[in-house]
Amino acid sequence: MSTKMTMNNNKRRIKEHNPVLNFFTFLVMFIVVVACIVPFLYIVAMSFSSPVAITNNRVSLWPVDFTIEAYKSVYEYPNFFRAYGYTFLYTLGGTAIALIMMVLFAYPLSKDWLKGQGFVMKLVVFSMFFSGGLIPNFLLINSLHLVGTVWAMLLPYAINQFNLIILINFFKSLPGEIEEAAVIDGLSYFGILVRIVLPLSGAALATVGLYTAVFFWNNWFSALIYLKSSQYPVMMLLRNIVNGRTMIVDNGGMGEKSSLSISIKSAVIILSSLPIILLYPFLQKYFVKGMTVGAVKG
Amino acid sequence: MGKKDKSLQNMEHVKKVSFTHYMGRYWQFYLMMLVPLVYFILFKYVPMFGNILAFRHYKPLGGPYGDRWASGYKVWPAPFRYFEQFLLKAEFWTAFKNTLIISLENLIINFPFPIIFAILLNELRNLKLKKFIQTVSYVPRFVSTVVVVSIMSELLSPSMGMLTRVIDNVFGVGRIYYMNEPQYFRMLYILTDMWQFTGWTAIIYLAAITGISSDMFEAARIDGASRFQQIIYITIPTILPTIMVMLILNVGHLLSLGFEKVLLMQTSTNMSVSDIIDTYVYRYTLGSSSPQYSLGAALGLFNGVIGLILVSTSNFVSRRLTGNSIY
Amino acid sequence: MKKFSALLLVAAMLLSMCSFAAAEEPIKISIYYSDNSTLPFREDWRVISYLEEKYNVDLVFEPIPMTDYGTKVTNVLTTQGDDTPDVILGTNTVGGNASLALNGAAYAINSNPDWTPNFNARVAEFGLEESVNMLKLGDGNLYYMPQLFDVPFYDGGLIMRQDYLESKGFEAPKTFDDLYTILKAYKEDYPDSIPLTSIVNIYVLQRMTMPAYGISVGRSTSTGTRVLSWDYENQKYFAGALSENYKEYIRFFSKLYQEGLLDPEFSQDDAAATRKLATGLSMAVYGYYDQIGGWEGASEIEGLKLNMYPSLAGPNGAHHQPKSSVGNGIMFPAKTMQRADFEQVVRKIDEVFFSEEAAKVWCIGIEGETYTMDGDKIVFSDDILNASEGIYKYMQNAYGCGCDGTQVVWYNAREMTKYDENYAQINATVAAMGDVIQYVPATPAFDDEAAEEASLLQTALADAFFVWDDAFMRGTKEIDADWAEYEQDLKDKGIEEFVDLYNQYNKYQ
Repeated sequence: MSTKMTMNNNKRRIKEHNPVLNFFTFLVMFIVVVACIVPFLYIVAMSFSSPVAITNNRVSLWPVDFTIEAYKSVYEYPNFFRAYGYTFLYTLGGTAIALIMMVLFAYPLSKDWLKGQGFVMKLVVFSMFFSGGLIPNFLLINSLHLVGTVWAMLLPYAINQFNLIILINFFKSLPGEIEEAAVIDGLSYFGILVRIVLPLSGAALATVGLYTAVFFWNNWFSALIYLKSSQYPVMMLLRNIVNGRTMIVDNGGMGEKSSLSISIKSAVIILSSLPIILLYPFLQKYFVKGMTVGAVKG
Repeated sequence: MGKKDKSLQNMEHVKKVSFTHYMGRYWQFYLMMLVPLVYFILFKYVPMFGNILAFRHYKPLGGPYGDRWASGYKVWPAPFRYFEQFLLKAEFWTAFKNTLIISLENLIINFPFPIIFAILLNELRNLKLKKFIQTVSYVPRFVSTVVVVSIMSELLSPSMGMLTRVIDNVFGVGRIYYMNEPQYFRMLYILTDMWQFTGWTAIIYLAAITGISSDMFEAARIDGASRFQQIIYITIPTILPTIMVMLILNVGHLLSLGFEKVLLMQTSTNMSVSDIIDTYVYRYTLGSSSPQYSLGAALGLFNGVIGLILVSTSNFVSRRLTGNSIY
Repeated sequence: MKKFSALLLVAAMLLSMCSFAAAEEPIKISIYYSDNSTLPFREDWRVISYLEEKYNVDLVFEPIPMTDYGTKVTNVLTTQGDDTPDVILGTNTVGGNASLALNGAAYAINSNPDWTPNFNARVAEFGLEESVNMLKLGDGNLYYMPQLFDVPFYDGGLIMRQDYLESKGFEAPKTFDDLYTILKAYKEDYPDSIPLTSIVNIYVLQRMTMPAYGISVGRSTSTGTRVLSWDYENQKYFAGALSENYKEYIRFFSKLYQEGLLDPEFSQDDAAATRKLATGLSMAVYGYYDQIGGWEGASEIEGLKLNMYPSLAGPNGAHHQPKSSVGNGIMFPAKTMQRADFEQVVRKIDEVFFSEEAAKVWCIGIEGETYTMDGDKIVFSDDILNASEGIYKYMQNAYGCGCDGTQVVWYNAREMTKYDENYAQINATVAAMGDVIQYVPATPAFDDEAAEEASLLQTALADAFFVWDDAFMRGTKEIDADWAEYEQDLKDKGIEEFVDLYNQYNKYQ
């Protein structure tokens, strides 16, 4: 597959040259890379630097007085790794449930001509703008006896309307002829979904899956409201460590008196976002592969 | 005339097919939908009844729907008590105006940017470089808002900020406290949004571009189209449905901005431009001395209605102009 | 093999039955705890296991991040759902929780005074009957057992470079004019400096300086009103934001700002404050004594020495941020009342937190483990005395002593043993100055209707005030020329109705 890809590319490159476009592309890419990577390097550098060096403005993009003390502190922070485990559970479980639910919903909804499709689409769009608020949601979850269970984290967000609409839109863009042929061949619609539509939707599923995974990775509010502290995900701890006192209260208490050092905060930021950042490169093959007739046959 | 004929024909066609026959053919679609639909109604629509609180008096522990209908406040009649409490306030309309201005500016600048980025990224021929840039551009999404704002405050600090010094040295404008001055607020908001979300949003467009059949480019090349022409005549038209769907969704959410970021960037000095609906709501509900749930519900309902109007209008316009719509 | 394990099982069951018969099963109580990330909760804290054993209880702590503690507590009180704990620590009935409690979300402590003998005894011992009384809501009920302080602490205030003062021959400042002189001198020596800063934006500074001018407004408010202040003489509220005192106050700080003596951005967090103080960019700060060590430690300036000074005298005398002798405390959500052994739960909690012996354990730990007695003197064990982070922090981190949430009885003298001489001395100086630390007026006993109106007025007034206050300080509005406009603006937003409303429900009248 990839050899074919490169061959295609080579062919194109030989044929065309547009110096202005090339220059512009490289300029934009250069700016993006610098802008995106520099602040992150700065955070990494601080996580490996001594607090004194940071305080005296001696750290820029490279660690000064290299130390792993900050990571040690995080390691010793109570329950950090248990929370990490829960985060993985919520992210994997939540994404799996969400993808199944959304695919099952999106495929029928991508058929404009299906009776009732229009009405259900309106229901979906309407619900984007009106939510019930905290208390009704809590009472619902409570009456389903999900409070204090991991399901409270996994179920309520299985369908996100935004992602659903993106998926529907992708399904709509698939060439209808292939499906029609399959119907004639006697394949059921479930069969078409599983054997034809899904294999063609790698990029779409990767996009929606990634968006969903990141949502579950970052979701701390449901955890706060529905879960026991022993089930908290790592983002909950991150919030407590990094935010400390975002919301200022009238009468300051202990929280005002001290905060963790910048190096520890930086280490927490790195540790809590690295796995999800590393997920993207693995999904990238779906964005590069491209959908060709050859891919369908293969 | 022709169009009408065709639709009539379709109607006839649908009518002719009996219900049992139709279901016999398409039942699988309805079966697929069943679980998600039940789920959807349970988790999205059941809690929605809570919105009735906008017209009801909230009593703590008196259930989520209040204990009685709201009485009149000062001017407006009975159940509109909580609507009067903000719709007749000048401060609310300032926040409303600020929200729209920031949102529109943000939309104009930050909506096309990921599209351009995705298209240009697709023009890169070096696969490794492409993957690298793609990953790097998505990293800022994972730097939490608190950290983004604190890095920004640090760079732009009037006394210690690196960037403040550089700007002062180059332009000699003095050490301005950028985070506090009203005239820089929107610019900083939009630039950080661009930084955080360009790579992230571009993923959708990258996926859409991936869907373009390479045969089309092949054919264009044979016709002698330059790469720039290929972008204009193939790439953009093919991903236009995705662009339009994203635009409609974005317009629908014009009233919702990054609440946490605005709250963190807000100072007393820049309040005149930085107070948005969400921060206004926050101060009157969760942030107030006693949380006003009914007022919160009324504000939520107001936001929802505006959002719905915006989304249906843009959906309608898009359908008319480009043939693309979300429903 | 199978037989053997079955035998084992039977034996284990028999054993457990025996022990059940022999000793009473410990009573299990779930507890919400506000978790501070700098001193995170640890399940193995010795103090807790010791007290559990001593009082035969099983305390199941739920450490909730401090940032979101209020949200979580309000949610469980509102919903009384499956996850409602038996006990909530570190909470109160101010604001939203008041109307929840009034509508039956919590157990009224005073309904069975004989269930809480230890709490009653400590209140009597500290002479806090009146203060506790003031915590009762409109229905005459007390819904939580507050933390009790015998003498309020002077734990934060003006902190300055002592080495600079000494090198220039300055006396310790007594008044705001003294402060001005010192800051001015520093600015002349270091023209690029911003001599005075404050932690947590401007709030800590305002909180700690306004009482010397007889007001507390803005976010520094002790009254919870944001624009009103408390008249200690007549025991009623007045429009502090419009008073002459405020005018004088803002004139002073505006002058500091305009002459470049006041940090225009203040310090959003401890890290920013550390940078400014450690590098000598600032020489004075309003902050907490606990922070000094961190600031000094981060500095590379030779001989940098920071010290905390007693409150400065303003037109209203020398006053610090008002403090209550009754703090946040222990609440029982209504759901706990459904427990068959509810009375036992209340009695146990009263004993585990408020009894003389338990209070001592929460503060200084276990005799023979964390300290020994040398006559009347407490001598801490070597690991504690040698801890680099200081006695106080180390004791909490390692043993769980002195947590803001779990320690509810605070004897000033006993606390001081955990700090250095200097701190004790500053506290003694402040105590000798008279009523530097005034009481916090009790929140009026609003009913639901009045609370709604008060909340609406307060938010609108506070919004306007913050903008004006900031503009006066930065000089974008003239204090004299624009005062009338300012006054009119707050009047339009209902400051007069607001004063009336507060005085109408004033508990002291």
